[in-house]
Amino acid sequence: MNRSLDVSRRHFLRTGAVSTAITMSGWLGDLARAVPETRSKSQRACILLWMNGGPSQMDTWDPKPGHANGGPIKAIDTKVPGIRISEHFPRLADRADKLAIVRGMSTKEADHGRGSYLLRTGRVPGGPIHYPSVGSFVGKELDQPDAELPCFVSIAPFRFLSPEAYGPGFLGPRYAPLVVGENALDGQNRNGDKDIAQLLKVQDLDLPKGISDTRGLARADFRDGLDSDFLTDHPGSVGEGHRTAYRRANTLMRSSSVKAFDLTEESHVLRDKYGRNLFGQGCLLARRLVERGVPFVEVTLSSAPGVNNGIGWDTHGENFDSVKRLCSVLDPAWAALMDDLSDRGLLETTTIIWMGEFGRTPKINPQRGRDHWANSWSTVLAGGGIKGGQTIGKTSDDGMEVKDRPVNVPDLLATVCKAVGIDPTKQNDSMIGRPIRLVEPTAVPMKEVLS
Amino acid sequence: MNRVSLWLITSGLLMLAGPASAADPPKPSTEAVALTARIDALLGAAWTANKIVPAETATDGEFLRRVYLDLAGRIPTVTETRVFLADKSKDKRQRVVAELLQRPTYTAHMTAVWRHLLLPEADSNFQFSFISIGFETWLREQFAKNAGYDQMVRELLTTPVDQQSQQRLFNPATPGKQTPIAFYFAKEAKAENLASSAARIFLGLRLECAQCHDHPFATWTRDQFWGLAAFFGGLQTQDRGDGFNIPDKEILDRRELGIPGTERVVQATFPDGAEPQWKFKVGPRQTLADWVIGKNNPYFARATVNRVWAQMFGIGLVEPVDEMVGGQDTKSHHEGLLDELAKSFVAHKYDLKFLFEAIAGSKAYQLSSRGQGAAPLYSRQLLRGLTGEQLYDSLSAATGQPNAFGDDPFAAFNGGNNSRGEFLTKFGQHTGKSTEYETSIIQALTLMNGSFVDAATNPSRSQLLSAVIESPFFNEKSRIETIYLAAMSRMPTELELEKAQSFIGRAAASDDPKKARNEALADVFWSLINSVEFVFNH
Repeated sequence: MNRSLDVSRRHFLRTGAVSTAITMSGWLGDLARAVPETRSKSQRACILLWMNGGPSQMDTWDPKPGHANGGPIKAIDTKVPGIRISEHFPRLADRADKLAIVRGMSTKEADHGRGSYLLRTGRVPGGPIHYPSVGSFVGKELDQPDAELPCFVSIAPFRFLSPEAYGPGFLGPRYAPLVVGENALDGQNRNGDKDIAQLLKVQDLDLPKGISDTRGLARADFRDGLDSDFLTDHPGSVGEGHRTAYRRANTLMRSSSVKAFDLTEESHVLRDKYGRNLFGQGCLLARRLVERGVPFVEVTLSSAPGVNNGIGWDTHGENFDSVKRLCSVLDPAWAALMDDLSDRGLLETTTIIWMGEFGRTPKINPQRGRDHWANSWSTVLAGGGIKGGQTIGKTSDDGMEVKDRPVNVPDLLATVCKAVGIDPTKQNDSMIGRPIRLVEPTAVPMKEVLS
Repeated sequence: MNRVSLWLITSGLLMLAGPASAADPPKPSTEAVALTARIDALLGAAWTANKIVPAETATDGEFLRRVYLDLAGRIPTVTETRVFLADKSKDKRQRVVAELLQRPTYTAHMTAVWRHLLLPEADSNFQFSFISIGFETWLREQFAKNAGYDQMVRELLTTPVDQQSQQRLFNPATPGKQTPIAFYFAKEAKAENLASSAARIFLGLRLECAQCHDHPFATWTRDQFWGLAAFFGGLQTQDRGDGFNIPDKEILDRRELGIPGTERVVQATFPDGAEPQWKFKVGPRQTLADWVIGKNNPYFARATVNRVWAQMFGIGLVEPVDEMVGGQDTKSHHEGLLDELAKSFVAHKYDLKFLFEAIAGSKAYQLSSRGQGAAPLYSRQLLRGLTGEQLYDSLSAATGQPNAFGDDPFAAFNGGNNSRGEFLTKFGQHTGKSTEYETSIIQALTLMNGSFVDAATNPSRSQLLSAVIESPFFNEKSRIETIYLAAMSRMPTELELEKAQSFIGRAAASDDPKKARNEALADVFWSLINSVEFVFNH
């Protein structure tokens, strides 16, 4: 029986018509004050489409059909004269006027773990500081006070190669992502559960049968008190994180915003348009979340029918077949997402980032594959604050180097910050007392990309 | 005597007599005691030299819970706690360590720990989880007989790869000896995967950055990486057509490997430059194993001791444990101690129980976790996250069902249709360090509202709660004390008793006071097992 704590019960909380078992101070007061999200016209959001494994630029955004390195993939014209992209992106080609294709990405980390950390935090891994992921530090800036939903939601990630790259780092547990569908391969989770809508739901939101709302709240409060007592002798982020997670879980249970995770509310037609697969439905969920004011949502594409592992883009062998399959998922999903956001008047305030941890070798290896390559690859920006219909930077004919306008990760993330309307040089307090800017101060945002 | 009282007595919730003495309890080992003294001396000197004031000694309850989690994979039961707290002997901490090392819980816990380490693929990819059944059986045998770690690693590195082993992989119920063949399957028998895993786990070397090119900042060259990979170069796989590449053959006289994507061929060589002692008819993996566990290997003993230390403290003597040499952030906290522990480990034939016993007896291990600020050089114990297995088994112990599943390896199968399997799916995902564990919102929801905890904290369905509530021997104070003992392995303080009693008192102002009081007691228990004190090792 689905029995979410609905609006009438939260009214019950606020008007203080509660038994004397509970005092409405401290964290319970915050809980009562939490508001269902409605996104205002000017509120900004960001969606990250994360391509786990390192997506091949030569076979997607920077094709080289005239060169041996180009391989069998053909290039097609797009809506924008002069811009040609992979034949596997027919729908995105029709929407190229919305895309800013950065072909000059050049980085130095070609290892999954290190590369993921670099791209997702803007910093080279190692050292004493735990940097927050872009979802955490951008989410924090755009976070609404008293929001019911966390400011950062991660859909179907595979975090095992670099768990630190997905966390809030020194910003603390309040900015940790809410994760759904973790480690789900396309179409099924570890239990073989094939219902994608079920996969992407937040589980265990309802109080168990037989527990009244009063009891539920009273014991949650007693529990919180136990943690507070323990924390006086055991201060630190581990214990704090536990208590914070429980407070946020309690808020989520009593929120109406959590209905965002129920994909069965959407029409079959729309669900089909996104694609009945994990990534497609994940993108639909992302739209629902940003619609309700969640500032940062990421959707991971790591598997497709026939490419069934957590780092699907890591195409050391059979690159062309795998890329085709992955693109057959990506193309309709991203196109549907942009159309859907646009229809709802949200595209101009929702910035979209497409990237992975690095690109792939221009030279094709003996297994018809491409290996890790950080020297010259592509990312794409779209949506809010972004001037689409252009390519930025050029690679050489053989794809081996950036000939014009190289871009590094701080530049990219600084551009994202500007696009969503936040200052990349803004400082946060790190745990070692030193203030840390959102993005490295040497970053130069790409002016030509910003609208 | 009624049924409830009988259950209470047999489960030890109610002590009618003094603790029964076990027949021939294991004695602490004098060898381990000697090594403990060395650990204490070296760390003590380091604290003095660095003007570090260590935390106070852990209380009995603190120590007992921690050592159970670290050596038995679960918290102690009420009986186990009561017996230990009541014991007045001076050496009770050493004796409980010696006892824990002989119990089946040691075997089960170390099997789980080493399975995660050697076969992490089974955690993130459910297609691999079925192969862990046979692998865990093999691991269990090793820990049950306390095989020397060098022998265990030799067996893993040299296990036959042939048609027979292939069959056993897919039919774990086949009678006969289990082998660690799943290790090869999970790595797809690829030389580069096997080399990187073996180097990281057994040698503490992270070579895989050098896989594609000589990294400008790293210590290792591409030739060194592929030279190690070449020892696995003779393995052949067969594509069954269902996406699985099965290792089923090995070319035993292959001692070289071509670097993929190049014309270059490297000979099988050890990363430290030592020359392989090739022997007639001795395959490359055997030659590799001889070097790994040989007395001239500079890495193996250190890497193993370091991992065991990290298991007990959350932080290794060298960090990161996967990259003890040449990493950009490699840091050694006490080289002298690591060196001495490694030598002692080798001298005692790589006996893991000896190592665990020596470390668990140390002053540092027995320090409290209460305190503020940084805790340099193990001067205070830290909060450490639990594995999924530890959390589930601790919940089972706290609610009066210490052996929720028996010794049946199939019942332990993660993907199976049992509550432990489902629980592990939700809680087995954390891959970072235990000292950096982050409870997630999703986990909080499962622990608060999920079916397992609900059953365990429902007065009508939980063995512990119904016994405590129904028994005529308990008053409210002793009820609260019992649930604290069950969940926290300690007695409540005066203040905690007061808070619990007033919580129950407030709830009792209702139409059915008796029912409300019982529910409130159940809610206190629910709160205890959802608290940070329960969910973490400290």
